[in-house]
Formats: sequence, structure tokens, C-alpha cells
Amino acid sequence: MAGPVKGAGRITRLALLTAIALTIFLAEAQLPALTAVPGVKLGLANIVTVYAMFALGPGDALLVLSGRVFLGAVFSGQMMTLIYSAAGGFLSWCVLCLLRKLLTGEQIWLASPVAAVFHNLGQLLAAATVLRSWAVMAWLPYLIIAAILAGLFTGVAAQALLRRLSGLS
Amino acid sequence: MKTRMIIFLLLAAVAASAAWLLLWNHEADSPVARVSWDGALLEEFDLNQVDEPYTYTFKHESETNTITVERGRVCISEANCPDQICVHQGWISDGTVPIVCLPHKLIVEIVGGGGVLDGGAG
Repeated sequence: MAGPVKGAGRITRLALLTAIALTIFLAEAQLPALTAVPGVKLGLANIVTVYAMFALGPGDALLVLSGRVFLGAVFSGQMMTLIYSAAGGFLSWCVLCLLRKLLTGEQIWLASPVAAVFHNLGQLLAAATVLRSWAVMAWLPYLIIAAILAGLFTGVAAQALLRRLSGLS
Repeated sequence: MKTRMIIFLLLAAVAASAAWLLLWNHEADSPVARVSWDGALLEEFDLNQVDEPYTYTFKHESETNTITVERGRVCISEANCPDQICVHQGWISDGTVPIVCLPHKLIVEIVGGGGVLDGGAG
């Protein structure tokens, strides 16, 4: 697994990961909605977040995540969505920090579904705050099921990525 | 041990969500469509008392949403919000999920009678 790198190497790697995550995010945003439930998607860009969290650590993961979330809102032209992505992203980052301590290298696939559930919970909490109403929580059961399925997919992908990239750098 | 714990919690979350969706009775005996904006109630439409379909237009500055009311169901038929999610959602006729226009902070939900208030009838 890649260890901490200082200086230009670190900046280059963070920039590369942010660019990859942003590309995946924007490509996925072009796909038509999977279901009638708003907010349900695979979240492929989170493969990069999970990779960064386990390979590089919480600080670097937060930098890549916040860079992707901010630029993603700018490039997709929907600044309104920033508050929801940021709330979801931050909550799932907190959960990933905790899971990083609990899980070993072979169990990383499990971190992603848990983080995805908290990502959707964070988004709904932000929406409930904006709307000043708990009515949006009616979406929660749909989003929990969708998050776990999508999270398992991205988790397995992140696990494979970590295995392939270990020994790199 | 920790893995098993996490898998168990995830399964429990799926089971609870599925049970909530499948078992809870969302039907409303006397459905009332409630329109609220920024947390405040704007209008209520008794969906059993609709003879001819009609529309109600929400306006706030340049933001508009046209709500169409029919007997037993309601939808947002037109809106000038950027994402159009509220329009694409179409008709709702029970309390399962509300129609939410997030950019305009507008909620159309169905409450009333059996469903939401008496709840848990599954």
C-alpha cells in the first residue's frame, strides 16, 4: 500500500486522483437516472474516495473528496447541489475514518456500503434543513437499499483497485 | 467479528427499509394534499372533494410551480426549476413519498385519514 509521500509527489498524486474522480463523476452525471427515486446512482467516483482513504489516509482523502465535490458542482453547473453533496460527503468521510481503524486490508469492500448509507443520510439531512421539513425522510428506506447495493459494487471495485495498486509508488 | 457485526447491521438496515416500504400502510382514507414552502403550510386540497381537475400555481419571486389536482391524486405539472425532478415524478396518490422541489423549497405531500396519522396498520 502506498505510504505517505511529501512535496511535489504528494501534490501530483492528489491532483491525479481528484482529476480521475471528477472525470468519473461527470461521466456518470451524463447517464439517465436509474430509477424514479431522486438521488439514486452508482456513485462510481467514490471508488477513488475509498481508495484514497485506505491507501493515503483521512487527510488526503478529504482533500480529494472536497476537490471533487466542489469542482463537480461547478462543472455540472448545479451549484445548488453543492450543499447536499458536501453534507453527504463529509458524513461519509467521518464514517470512513472510523472504518479505517476497524477494518483490515481485506475487508475494505465492506466500508463502502456503510459510507454510502451515511452519504445518503447526510444528503437527506441537508435537504430537510433547507426545506425545514422532515417530509424528505420518506425517501430514506429507498436510499438505504440503493446505497447498500451501489456501495457493495464500488466497494468491491475499490478493493480490487487497492490490490492492483499496492506496491505502486 | 467486526465484519460480521457490520454485515449484520447492513442486513438489518435493508430489512428495516424493506419492511417499512412493504408493510406500512401508506393509503390515505381521506387524502388531503398539503402544499408547503420553506416549512410553512401554504394550501390544503381535499382530494375526495374534486369534481373537475384544477390547477394551483405557486409563485415566489421568479420561481413558479403549477400543481394539478385531480380526484384522489396530485402532481406538479409545470415548474421553472433547473432540475425538473418534481415534474418528472408525476402523480402521487398516497403518503408513500412526497413530491419535493428542492430548488424551490416546495413540498407537496398527501396526508389524512387512515394512512399517515393512524399509521402502522400493516
